[in-house]
Amino acid sequence: MKLKQSKSVEWTKLDNASKYFPATANELDTKVFRLSCELYEMIDPNILQKALNKTIESFPFFKSILRRGVFWYYFESSDLIPEVSEESLSICAPIYNKNTKNLLFRVFYYHKRISFEIFHALSDGKGALLFLQTLVYHYLFYRYEEQFKNYKPALDYNASIKKKMDDSFNKHFIGDNGFTRNVIDHNKRIKAHKIRGKRTEENRMKLIEGSMSVKAVLSEVKKDNTSLTIYLAALFIYSIYKEMNALERRRPIVLSVPINLRQFFESDTARNFFSTINISYQFRKEETELKDIIESITESFQKDLTVDKINYKINRLISLEKNPFMRIIPLPIKDYSIRIANKLVDRGITGAISNIGKVQMPEEFEPYIRQFTVCTSARRPQICMCSYGDQLVISFTSPFKDTEIQRRFFEHLSNKGIQIEISSNM
Amino acid sequence: MKYCSHCKVYIRGDKLQCTLCENSLPDTHEEEETLFPTISLIFESHLALRITAFISIAALVVSFALKEIFPSNINSPLFVLLALLTMWLSLIVVIRKRHNIAKTIMWQVSLLSILSILWDWRIGWRGWSLDYILPISYVSAMFVMYITAKIMRLSVRDYIVYLLLDALFGIIPIIFVLFDWITVYYPSIICVAISIIFLAAILIFEGENIKIELDKRMHI
Repeated sequence: MKLKQSKSVEWTKLDNASKYFPATANELDTKVFRLSCELYEMIDPNILQKALNKTIESFPFFKSILRRGVFWYYFESSDLIPEVSEESLSICAPIYNKNTKNLLFRVFYYHKRISFEIFHALSDGKGALLFLQTLVYHYLFYRYEEQFKNYKPALDYNASIKKKMDDSFNKHFIGDNGFTRNVIDHNKRIKAHKIRGKRTEENRMKLIEGSMSVKAVLSEVKKDNTSLTIYLAALFIYSIYKEMNALERRRPIVLSVPINLRQFFESDTARNFFSTINISYQFRKEETELKDIIESITESFQKDLTVDKINYKINRLISLEKNPFMRIIPLPIKDYSIRIANKLVDRGITGAISNIGKVQMPEEFEPYIRQFTVCTSARRPQICMCSYGDQLVISFTSPFKDTEIQRRFFEHLSNKGIQIEISSNM
Repeated sequence: MKYCSHCKVYIRGDKLQCTLCENSLPDTHEEEETLFPTISLIFESHLALRITAFISIAALVVSFALKEIFPSNINSPLFVLLALLTMWLSLIVVIRKRHNIAKTIMWQVSLLSILSILWDWRIGWRGWSLDYILPISYVSAMFVMYITAKIMRLSVRDYIVYLLLDALFGIIPIIFVLFDWITVYYPSIICVAISIIFLAAILIFEGENIKIELDKRMHI
């Protein structure tokens, strides 16, 4: 009698932040974000495929598919093989389809650029960046094999596969706040200013990237005695403010800022590990200057960006997740409630700004890489930025045709003498 | 690279107007790079669906009009409405769940059960829904699901939960027998018998797989 080999399929629960994305992803906001690396020469698809095969070996968790259980979503490992293709879809096109079993990311290329789009349930900016860095590393190593025959540059991310799959939320937070009925803070139930405009055709995303020297921007930022993220967040608020009419100025501008928790808590995970804080500014009747906004935001950051506050916020979310009554609610009802809660929270947000930080690659690859860029799907104007070497790339994504806010933003910087190169998809 | 003197920025790519201020850019006579592909707009006409929707509404309106012109005892507009409802619900289920054939079959069987009871009741209860339709649909579903799974070489994990669910459904007719809601017994008895046999086979041969699947899908 032949014994059939039973193959067990590995599955993992979603971490706290991930649970939110499948519930709220839709045609307008696909919850997909894109990381790209632009080289100086045309991409070879065969080498890219080879690099992808090698990269996925060290990130096996990325081969997961998302399934619906009775009470929660879960990740199931799959045998699907990711394939590279030439870019042919609109930016941050939907990835998660609840009726099909497909990978939650795509790798593609166009001319000199390698791009990596991922559904946010799988990972956050930092996690996805680790994947892209590894992918570009392997690509360049295979592409210039002759030069690196004798020695292999070291990639600075050597965490074990288990550590990469870590649910860091579960590791650092136990959710001992008890059941708090109001996840939405009372004092946060403010209505923020909403940017409006004419939508693009088919709800496509308008992407405008501005590439500039980090040093040039930093010398400007230092004049106001602040940090890069705060300066640019203030500039974003200022640009929005300049487009508001007198009636609209009654409402504050609120920016949502994602925070990478790996800088506060020990973690090597390539999965989601982030939280968000809200920065708001209320305009008064008099004319506001940029430095007023900078001052006010710096205070907000110092107040809110503390380990205590972050601990409190996340513990509340985790306690909600672990509450026994919550757990036995069927998934469709959970999805619906999360969507409603999301709509309420969204009323209090004008836009978002996300700084992925510095991208590090081995020095030996510097002559081959032009820049890294990051952007995300957005239902409202959003800024994402990252820097590589001296290249800072600020990407605006917006569902609207209008570009006045972006124009004011970049013009302010170019007026200070900073040289900017603008790329756009429309 | 082109330069916009209004915004004081360089514009990459083959653009005729400045991305930020839309003023026209001076020509540089250089070959400009293309950074993003042009993606054509997709227009799905969904013609078949629109035609079906139109015919449905027309049929409904015509049935109402005919009833007014030729009064009769039979409530034809209601039949037409129920028939259209049945057709649309089945269509929607098949379109949405088409990727998962076992799930589609389960949904169709549930839909069929509820709608046939509804029909039976509106026509003037003759009991054919409980007598014939329900037992026959449950048994057919089990066989169709199993055969389809084998033909399409689905992995056991994908369909075993639905097969289990259907076998459990198939035991429901025993209630009809016990409470004497039916007049014709043999379809229900055959259905219950086959379901129990199926259930035994599933639990004995695929017991571990079921446990793993249920653990996974029902984790809280």
